[in-house]
Amino acid sequence: MKEEFLKKWQMGLQIYRPLIDNTSVSERRKAIKLSADVAMASLRKGTTCWSRALIQKTATEDNFLVRQMLSGIKAETLINKKLPKVMCHRKIVRRSKKILRRRQSRSAIEEVAAKARKLVKKKTQGLRNVVPGGEFMSNDVLLIQETLDYIVSLQTQVNVMRSIVDAAEAGSERTAYYLGKLKFAIEDG
Amino acid sequence: MLEGLVSPESLSFSYADMSVPEMLKWLQQHQQQEVLSLSSNDSPELLQILQFHGSNNDELLQSTFSHFQMVGSGFGTNYNMGFGHSHEAMDGCISRTSSCQIHPPDTMGVMLKNSEENRAISLKNKRKSEDKTREEEKTEKKIKVEAERESNISNKEASSDTSKETSKGASQIQKLDYIHVRARRGQATDRHSLAERARREKISKKMKYLQDLVPGCNTVTGKAGVLDEIINYVQSLQRQVEFLSMKLAVTNPELELAVEDLSVKQAYFTNFPVVIASKPSVMVDVPLFPLDQQGSLNLSVSNPNQTSIDAPSESWETQSQSLFASILR
Repeated sequence: MKEEFLKKWQMGLQIYRPLIDNTSVSERRKAIKLSADVAMASLRKGTTCWSRALIQKTATEDNFLVRQMLSGIKAETLINKKLPKVMCHRKIVRRSKKILRRRQSRSAIEEVAAKARKLVKKKTQGLRNVVPGGEFMSNDVLLIQETLDYIVSLQTQVNVMRSIVDAAEAGSERTAYYLGKLKFAIEDG
Repeated sequence: MLEGLVSPESLSFSYADMSVPEMLKWLQQHQQQEVLSLSSNDSPELLQILQFHGSNNDELLQSTFSHFQMVGSGFGTNYNMGFGHSHEAMDGCISRTSSCQIHPPDTMGVMLKNSEENRAISLKNKRKSEDKTREEEKTEKKIKVEAERESNISNKEASSDTSKETSKGASQIQKLDYIHVRARRGQATDRHSLAERARREKISKKMKYLQDLVPGCNTVTGKAGVLDEIINYVQSLQRQVEFLSMKLAVTNPELELAVEDLSVKQAYFTNFPVVIASKPSVMVDVPLFPLDQQGSLNLSVSNPNQTSIDAPSESWETQSQSLFASILR
């Protein structure tokens, strides 16, 4: 999994390399992050909801990159497909529920259970905000499945990036260290 | 009219005396019994949904209950509770019974499948084996509402040929692809709540996977806390990705993630122990840092990269060694 991710990520970065406007740090960071995200999403090959949503999101920012990275027909279908469902307008739903709820009796136990349920609903809504494409997942089962998959992919992404950063750092450190030592030794001797 | 019902006299035989064919006959006299298996493991008392025809449900169950008093005295309260819910959707023909009443049908249901069971085993063992077989069946989930209805109708018509019914029921169990859910004691058995319960159990199963995945989730109980932890974890992972990409952008002006670069670095690190061993005087204050890097790198970089390392590694080794040798002389 990690190797595939690495390869795809490099492929994406290679697309960015010939672009001249890579001088600023923010540009580079964006390039790195976008290519990493698309690489991670393309690993799932469109089977999961979050990967499709992620690809569509980056397609709005950089269509060219997405097209290059995803080879074949899949790219076209993924980019052009409209987002699956209309987002529920939570405010409207809430207001209508309030109206319906006006006449219900309230016992103590019911109130506690209702509050617990409200809390859980709030949290699931928070989760939908975090997971890409979460707004379009209609049921909770799908949401939790998607979060599982998303967490696994995020973990691999973070591991690969961290090891590359460490290697790059260590490499530059080592070379600097050794060059310093060499200089010192040469000057001494 | 009472042909489908068990008459109290037939229940007069004692529990331990029943022989296999007698029990089978008793089972056949009943209408079809559906054994629904539950996927979750933690239900100590599982109910079976029996179907009774006619209106003498209460009397019949009362008699069976009184007969089986010795079997389980603790189920008295549940008996009443069971009848509170007994008249729900299902043609009014399904009622829930406490588990003590259905011991003979339960065991017979088990025995139909598992004929070698020894009836001389004590009650406790019987219940244990029931639970075991139930757990064995738990691999699939099926909701058998429609199968019950169909078999109900067919049973009404051909009541005499009971062996056919049971076989038909068995074949229906195999043919239809519904979700098996077992109703717990004191819970509704209509279709909607069964489906809801199945859905809820799916969700809780997935939440357990999530708990294993997310570190630090084991201490929190309850959905809201676990969800909170998950949200925090995902947000922290996303922030890490941004931070790491920023770091890479800073240290890497050419956007060089090249594999050759990595392989060189890995070669560099693999050479380290060699160099250290040969020239200890120079390398005294070298930390163990690169060795860690090598370990982490090995995790991330794939094996095909290592084959390409061999060539450059030798050159590095010779170069560094010659360099240091020349310096120290």
